[in-house]
Amino acid sequence: MAGVQWSIVAFTVKTALLSTLVILPPGIGLAWLLAKRQWPGKSVVETLVSLPLVMPPVATGLLLLMLLGRRGPLGAWLYERGIEVAFTATAVVVALGVMSFPLLVRASRVAFEEVSPRLEQIAATLGSGNLRIFFTVTLPLAARGVLAGTVLAFSRALGEFGATIILAGNIPGKTQTLSLAIFQFVQIGHDEEAMSLLVVTVIIAFITLWFSERLGRRKKKETEAG
Amino acid sequence: MNGLLKVRTILPLSQFRLQVDLSLASPVTALFGPSGAGKTTLLEIIAGLRTPQDGFVEMDGTVLFSSERKIHLPPQERGIGYVPQEGALFPHRSVRGNILYGMKRSPRGAPIPMEHVIHVLEIDSLLDRRVSQISGGERQRVALARALLSNPKLLLLDEPLAALDTSLKERILPYLLRVRDEFEVPMLYVTHNATEVLSMAQWVVFLNRGTVIAQGPPRDVLSSREVLPQVENDQLENVIQGPVVDSNRDLGITTLSLTDTLSLSVPFVEKSRGETIQVSIPPHEILVATEEPRGISARNILPGEITSLQRVQESCFLKVKAGFPFLVRVTPSAVEKLGLQEGRSVFLIMKTRSFRIL
Repeated sequence: MAGVQWSIVAFTVKTALLSTLVILPPGIGLAWLLAKRQWPGKSVVETLVSLPLVMPPVATGLLLLMLLGRRGPLGAWLYERGIEVAFTATAVVVALGVMSFPLLVRASRVAFEEVSPRLEQIAATLGSGNLRIFFTVTLPLAARGVLAGTVLAFSRALGEFGATIILAGNIPGKTQTLSLAIFQFVQIGHDEEAMSLLVVTVIIAFITLWFSERLGRRKKKETEAG
Repeated sequence: MNGLLKVRTILPLSQFRLQVDLSLASPVTALFGPSGAGKTTLLEIIAGLRTPQDGFVEMDGTVLFSSERKIHLPPQERGIGYVPQEGALFPHRSVRGNILYGMKRSPRGAPIPMEHVIHVLEIDSLLDRRVSQISGGERQRVALARALLSNPKLLLLDEPLAALDTSLKERILPYLLRVRDEFEVPMLYVTHNATEVLSMAQWVVFLNRGTVIAQGPPRDVLSSREVLPQVENDQLENVIQGPVVDSNRDLGITTLSLTDTLSLSVPFVEKSRGETIQVSIPPHEILVATEEPRGISARNILPGEITSLQRVQESCFLKVKAGFPFLVRVTPSAVEKLGLQEGRSVFLIMKTRSFRIL
């Protein structure tokens, strides 16, 4: 495999990891708020977060482009401050983050809901404030679900296509991820390059799954058998 | 309780309103009543886990909750330990991790030394186990240790024995008694078991459908006209406490002083003279005779006087003053044949083996 292909793989893994890291804190925070608290506007936020899951990715990408393009309301504001999002590597991370966010939130939310409020109450009677309860009781007990959501989000980011191509374009060496590259190679008839990238994709998917299974099993031992 | 717990609350529940006005000062108060009487809800209000519609909670002169003054101290600032029915241990922590959980955070330090708690509750060998590897009774002991080590000003126990079967219960009650006697932590103890009330508490509050029906010293309340019919018959036992005057392994008996002149023979227990023990005997295990029996194997024959007689369903409950206000359960037929009535002098006959050491 040539150096160009390696750099595509590295770029893809890097942007997917980065987007997952970026959405982790807000995703977990929001999941907790949805699972454990009642607040006005909750159902609106809930729907909004899940929207990218049901909308065609291309449509989500277009919405993002309208928002973040140089003439978009947010994009213009950022451009004035010297930040350009559309058609840059940043756009890739943004597209991946938005697309995988609902997967992280939904999985984590279910995991938080399954943590018995009783245990959290008992932690409070033992002197813990909300933050300590979250980090010593809620999060450890929901760890498996949160982890599963994180892996799901990362996998989604690895394979994202529709939103990325609209918001970031398909610029080789700048915004081209694995999916975008495979698409391009197939389009122009370079089947061999497409095949070698396909093999890499399968390997990455395999490693991700194996890693999450292992972590999941260890967590299971800690909580259930434990 | 060196201080005073005052609770006044109104909270509508699905079936009735929880409406109580209590002022408690005993070291151990039992909250007694049938299931669904609102006992657990009341504990949750005191612990700060549930908000009453109206009322106040005050402990040692500190207001924990007041609807009028808009005060609602969160549970973590109340210093009230809570041991729920199921124990609620943290499944992701070891036994040691559980009992250390509250201790690390206690702002008042831990005047109750950890080693002492571990010793009294006999959980030394469990410390490195996972929570799933210990039995129900052990869980309760660990939950108790965890709550004690958070150094609470008040300990709330919600039916700590209810989730266990009878044989386990008999093994955990002694631990509760030890906790009561070893650590000066006032307790509010929820139960629907009369024997537990009699052996644990100095004061009992009888709650039914959210309302306080009666309160006072356990023996009086439980045998009162309002409460007695509510008590499951086999649970109401005579719980007697007294100093050991003699203990003889060869004869198989321990003698317990009841008054200056009266004593009881109970099954042998490894205690020396002067130590206090607690024993119980169910009311139906006591025989009544109108004349002093002779040539009988039962070791306890006490002269006494019937002070009250009450019919509950198919039984008659007599209160007989014989150095101790014994509650005796006989059939209405026996009452008729023997001509039992208030003021009548009788003899109570109790076999040594009918007593249970608590």
